[in-house]
Amino acid sequence: MSTLLTHIAISDGKIKRSSLEVLSHLRRQAEQHGHQVEAVIIDAEASRYTGQVQQYGPSKIYTVENPVFKNHLNAPLLKALEKVIEQADPSLVAFASTESTKDILGALAAREEAAVLSDVSTFELTEEGIRATRPVMAAKILSENEARGDMILVSVRSGSYDLEEQASDAEVIEIDFSVDDQDLRATLEEIISSSGDTIDLSEAETIVAAGRGAKDEKGQQLISELADVLNAGVGASRALTEAGVMDPSLQIGQTGKVVSPQLYIAVGISGAIQHVAGMASSKVIVAINKDPDAPIFDIADYGIVGDLYDVLPPFIDELKKIAS
Amino acid sequence: MKFYVCIKQVPDIDAPIQIKNGNLIQDTDRTVLNAYDASAVEEALVLTEKHGGEVEVVLIGPNQAKETIRKALAMGAHKATHIETREESYDSSVYASILASFFEDKDYDVISCGKQSQDTDAGLTGSMLAEHLDLPYSTNAVALSAQNGQLRVKRQGDAGQELIALPLPCLVSCSNDMNEPRIPSLKGIMQSKRKPMETIALDALEIDESALEAKTAVTGYREKPKREAGQKFEGEPEETARQVARLLDEEANVV
Ligand SMILES: Cc1cc2nc3c(=O)[nH]c(=O)nc-3n(C[C@H](O)[C@H](O)[C@H](O)COP(=O)(O)OP(=O)(O)OC[C@H]3O[C@@H](n4cnc5c(N)ncnc54)[C@H](O)[C@@H]3O)c2cc1C
Ligand SMILES: Nc1ncnc2c1ncn2[C@@H]1O[C@H](COP(=O)(O)O)[C@@H](O)[C@H]1O
Repeated sequence: MSTLLTHIAISDGKIKRSSLEVLSHLRRQAEQHGHQVEAVIIDAEASRYTGQVQQYGPSKIYTVENPVFKNHLNAPLLKALEKVIEQADPSLVAFASTESTKDILGALAAREEAAVLSDVSTFELTEEGIRATRPVMAAKILSENEARGDMILVSVRSGSYDLEEQASDAEVIEIDFSVDDQDLRATLEEIISSSGDTIDLSEAETIVAAGRGAKDEKGQQLISELADVLNAGVGASRALTEAGVMDPSLQIGQTGKVVSPQLYIAVGISGAIQHVAGMASSKVIVAINKDPDAPIFDIADYGIVGDLYDVLPPFIDELKKIAS
Repeated sequence: MKFYVCIKQVPDIDAPIQIKNGNLIQDTDRTVLNAYDASAVEEALVLTEKHGGEVEVVLIGPNQAKETIRKALAMGAHKATHIETREESYDSSVYASILASFFEDKDYDVISCGKQSQDTDAGLTGSMLAEHLDLPYSTNAVALSAQNGQLRVKRQGDAGQELIALPLPCLVSCSNDMNEPRIPSLKGIMQSKRKPMETIALDALEIDESALEAKTAVTGYREKPKREAGQKFEGEPEETARQVARLLDEEANVV
């Protein structure tokens, strides 16, 4: 019997749903293979979240609590993970694939001499390690991968697994942790946060995404009206983040975020493969584009050929009627 | 400032691809300079143009990858090292170990990588290399500047953009959101042929056998289940828009 460890990501005072997805999956795998699942929370207020994590059935929860974890910095996070790994001695450490995870996964693998697979869409345990599927070639193709060794690290795309509660009375173990300036290695000078309380795209049920076609003020106005009616998160293609029209954190695609909402509405987006790489696993895709040959129509469940300035007003109006 | 930029030759994802017996086969052998690395080269050039210094590119790959090195030299990099391998490709941890052994006795201010390979999206090599070399680092940089002997990095993180100051020497991995890489000029292309390019055989780097053994393997490829195009509505926007809105409610049940 060995230990499978899940890292619980905290963002904006909330547990990231994607790390609970990973924990749910890992618990099912552990049951099948006779292993035990543990969780680790590293945050300025780590102990606040143990109750919620217990609902997902780990047998132990490690907490590392220190004000340094209020914001992301790779050096202290690595140091904390190293300490927990030393104590838990896991054969597998699983992460939700967030920007913070991406920042440390390679370094942690090098430090622990562990095998690592990043950004997988599914994985399962094998005799020697894990087998995992990863999208490659801008998510046009799926690759099958194996990782083996005494310790394996894996990060998992959001939306890959369903949540499944199974309450436990997991023992909480506080890890003693301190940092000095030497440990920080870098100085975090400022956080430029994206405007206000925007909806986390990686967890949004509905996303309205704007492309070059909706670049001007009137287009932007229509986009936010549509998002309001649907209570949707607003995303963007690179054309708009690059032009400074939309916040860079809203970019969806190969460079930006990977999302998998129930409904994705692409407005004035051509459907370049690098954009599609980030949204192709949405459940229902709607495309609004004036070019009938735009590639986005090849993957859209509902395509509306037309000028967005003519299409959106009645579309919004009808959705309002439905909502009321 | 002395910059080393780690660059990789990758298959062009726009070229047609087929899968035969689980193997990936490209109809052409079209390859490109990894787009994220092109941005790393561009930014190193901009910073050395401003503050003085030199940009050297390093690539691990087979002989045919020289073409990609020339592209970076034509953009303006001053010199290059080619660590020549046979045809096989490795996983990120092997590339990171090879690079670590190359950098062991080098002097530099900044090592730049791309944030990920365009074909595999692994995103691991940069931070692995930083760990091997025990360097402070930052990943997913969307802007860089140099000030008071520090590299200032704007990093796209989960909670927004993080402004981070790194002491030198350091490592940074770059997003293509950082800049628009320059297209080599004719003059640049001509000059690139006379720029110094050193070739080192992989064996000459005395790397531990075990570091060259990949811990992960790709066992096969398969087609991603294709999304079928659904219904397409052309006609009076007033009507089609309302119709689709109703279908989202009644047929798809998503609003
Ligand atoms: C390595 C790499 C990574 C990349 N990563 C990303 C990424 O993460 N995300 C991303 O989005 N892109 C990414 N790109 C860029 C991508 O290739 C495209 O350039 C980009 O997605 C185009 O954005 P767009 O569809 O908004 O613009 P365009 O391709 O210019 O399309 C605009 C569309 O709007 C339509 N349109 C114009 N006016 C109207 C109107 N009035 N009404 C209706 N329709 C209209 C046009 O018909 C057109 O189809 C990446 C590229 C590279 C090389
Ligand atoms: N063969 C290679 N030669 C030089 N640099 C490489 C090589 N492979 C990866 N890198 C660097 O690592 C980055 C990508 O890492 P990864 O996504 O882990 O493959 C690239 O953008 C390069 O900067």
